[in-house]
Amino acid sequence: MSAARDAISETWQTRSAPHLTGGNTHRHIARSWISAAALAGVCGVAVYGPGALGVLVVAIFSAAATDVAVGLTARRPAAGGFTHSILTGLILGLTLPASVSVVDVSTPTVASLPWYVPAVGAAVAVCVKALFGGMGHCLWHPALVGRVVVQFLFWQHLSFSAGSQTIPAPVLSPGHLFVGNVSDARRIAPQEYQGWRVEHERTPSYDAFLIERTVVQLRAFTDGLVEAEREQQFTTLIRDNLPPWRDQALGTVPGGIGETCHAALIIAGFFLIYRSHLRWQLPAAILISAGLAAAILPVLADGTGESYRWLPGIAVENGRAVGVSYVVFQLTSGPLLLGAFILAGDMMLSPMRAKGQIVYGAGIGVLTIFLRLYGPVEGACYWSILVMNTLVPTIDRALKRPVLGLAS
Amino acid sequence: PLSGECALVSFWSSILGPRKSFEGGLFLPEQKSVTARLPIETLRVDGPLHVPLRVTRDLGTEAVVAMGDRVLRGQRLSRPTEWGSVGVHAPTSGEIVGFEPAWTAEDGFVPGVRLEPDGADSSVPTTRGWEEESFMVQLAEKGVVCPRPRGSAHARIQSAIAAGATDLIVNAMETEPFLTADLRTLVEESGRLIDATCEIADAMGARRVLFVLPFRHRRVVRRIENEAIGRHVEVVPLANKYPQCNDVVLIKTLLDLEVPPGGCDIDVGAAILPLAMVRAVADATLDDRPLTHTVITIAGDIVEQAGTYRVAVGTPVRRLAERVGTFGPIDTVVSGGPLTGTAIDRDDAVITAVTRAILFFGARTRPDPVPCIHCGWCVEDCPVGLDPSILSQLDATSDEIEKPEHLEVCVDCGLCSHVCPASLPIAETIKIARRRFLDPPNTLPIETKAK
Repeated sequence: MSAARDAISETWQTRSAPHLTGGNTHRHIARSWISAAALAGVCGVAVYGPGALGVLVVAIFSAAATDVAVGLTARRPAAGGFTHSILTGLILGLTLPASVSVVDVSTPTVASLPWYVPAVGAAVAVCVKALFGGMGHCLWHPALVGRVVVQFLFWQHLSFSAGSQTIPAPVLSPGHLFVGNVSDARRIAPQEYQGWRVEHERTPSYDAFLIERTVVQLRAFTDGLVEAEREQQFTTLIRDNLPPWRDQALGTVPGGIGETCHAALIIAGFFLIYRSHLRWQLPAAILISAGLAAAILPVLADGTGESYRWLPGIAVENGRAVGVSYVVFQLTSGPLLLGAFILAGDMMLSPMRAKGQIVYGAGIGVLTIFLRLYGPVEGACYWSILVMNTLVPTIDRALKRPVLGLAS
Repeated sequence: PLSGECALVSFWSSILGPRKSFEGGLFLPEQKSVTARLPIETLRVDGPLHVPLRVTRDLGTEAVVAMGDRVLRGQRLSRPTEWGSVGVHAPTSGEIVGFEPAWTAEDGFVPGVRLEPDGADSSVPTTRGWEEESFMVQLAEKGVVCPRPRGSAHARIQSAIAAGATDLIVNAMETEPFLTADLRTLVEESGRLIDATCEIADAMGARRVLFVLPFRHRRVVRRIENEAIGRHVEVVPLANKYPQCNDVVLIKTLLDLEVPPGGCDIDVGAAILPLAMVRAVADATLDDRPLTHTVITIAGDIVEQAGTYRVAVGTPVRRLAERVGTFGPIDTVVSGGPLTGTAIDRDDAVITAVTRAILFFGARTRPDPVPCIHCGWCVEDCPVGLDPSILSQLDATSDEIEKPEHLEVCVDCGLCSHVCPASLPIAETIKIARRRFLDPPNTLPIETKAK
């Protein structure tokens, strides 16, 4: 009793209501996004080897150093701080490939991505963030701005094709995960590639396989460049030119560090949704609209390469619904899932209301597929997210909630 | 009598939950598990009581006792001097030892008396008021008050009649964390509450009587439904999504009517009465007990004996803290719910007839605010569809600023500050702006003070 009497001193705190806070601060948000992105990063290191780890580390260090440097020179510290810069660097690293392939006339060679690519990209990303005023004030996703800038600066390292020739990319073979050397790669033509595990059983001596990217193959198919017999285009594409669906789902296909392992991306997305740091409507809208767009938009695959074929999603060949497989390959190739679960959902850059996020996500999905089928740029998902980021203030303004009591 | 079809409907509704709800809002962690299971106990504290002689600062009363008088429990201490005011009665027997202003959380200083209890707690002989007095006169004589909006119960009912209100809504939704006074009252006094509701509805001439209570407590709902069989009372269980307890939100949910900004429930033809008022009406009309005690929840993260207590009006908050005990030093004392209550910063604060809860919180670290990160949580959770992130960008210190749009629509639920991951004081800023732009000065207590 006396203890309680002493306890009530003159230092009672006076604040206005509410006296109870939810306890979910911006630090928690940044931490859970870092966890989700790190899961994708670990899977990328598994599939692409120590070089991928190097890219991620360089990106994170560059982002941190730039954050410190900007903080020293800026008159006013940027909001959000160090943690968000780390997250930006990590996400930038996830969008980059771990290696560079140089296609010579005789033998293709594979080298690690030069260190300055992630370093410059992360520095640009953090500088853009700081210029806008920090976390929550950017119009565009800073990591994607950095990605697009390095795509322009270092196009010879990051491009998918050189002239008319496509550039294959490596993926570590089974038994060489995490530690394999991607330079010790064997090039396999798409027609001969039987799948990750099968190829390893056939030629176990190599550390990595050098195979074509799925996105590139799909684009060639759209342009009517895939040789196919008449009435069998989709069957030919899926049987001869694309890896098995199991490889697509597990991420044992070439691509950016964080964008291929779909199982990890889905787990990371569900984690973010569970933590309520991502609304489920956003990835759902992106994936559904991308699927619909892929099912509807026409491709030049009629065997002659002259007339467009609409509604590829309902194509049936030999009694098989190959159109559905085509749509699933469109959804699981490239950085679409990374975009849906980690890039687009950044709560500081997406619309405030769930309704606005559905519009935003639908725009991203349709634009990604449209740019991928007919667009002039590589990395369609990054560009469509940046375009839709620009529209976020408009979406927010157009989809305001009606204020209670003012309806007339 | 449940037919097969009705049983099916009730089965499905008990699985699917209540049908009616509102846009926005949040299911808060309840933190009621301890206090909701304990019965209401009368808490006696030692030492003198400091009884405020008025319900609000504006409603005038004059004292009818003098220094040195001996009073009995239930004896009148003050009588009203204007319409709408009510007198105050002595909560226990004792001696009047002084006339000093009492500090209340709602109004600051109001006139008060110091009452030294003699320990006998002897009561005045109960008058059987219902034999000679009308319902309204009983309420006025027994000093029954309405907690929200603050005032006397008979004035509240009479103004509803004058405005032609046809719907009577009894609000037993307690969606704020920690609060269990209404829930315990529902459990322990269910029949009396239905009786008192019907009395009020008769006096009001209400065409439709709705009794709103949390769907989550199924057995309480069933008990109230059983009590209401054959009565002209419609029992409406609702999801306890915060702030369903708010009048504006409740009217939107139940009647699908929108209260005009700055208006109140009577403007749309409905009268919402808090359950605490119905309980006081039951005490006054069924038991002839004047309003001398109030049922409050005493809880918080450092309270040893948290529970729902019946406490005498005029009990100092400091004595309550000593009585229930605390695990550590008290940092914040709140009168009311944790999201809408008023912080108490004075040692001599007392319990009034409209106090719902006293919460004691230990020291907590509140993170420093950072600029808005546009997460949209406040927009999503706002029950009235505002954009609090824009409203909060007001500069609280500058003078030459024009009135922000829709400021008067805010219902002060506090959810925006509660969820803000940037720890911005959004609700506080809106409150300050509204005080500056809309309210004339000195009509509301000053709750916000520099830390």
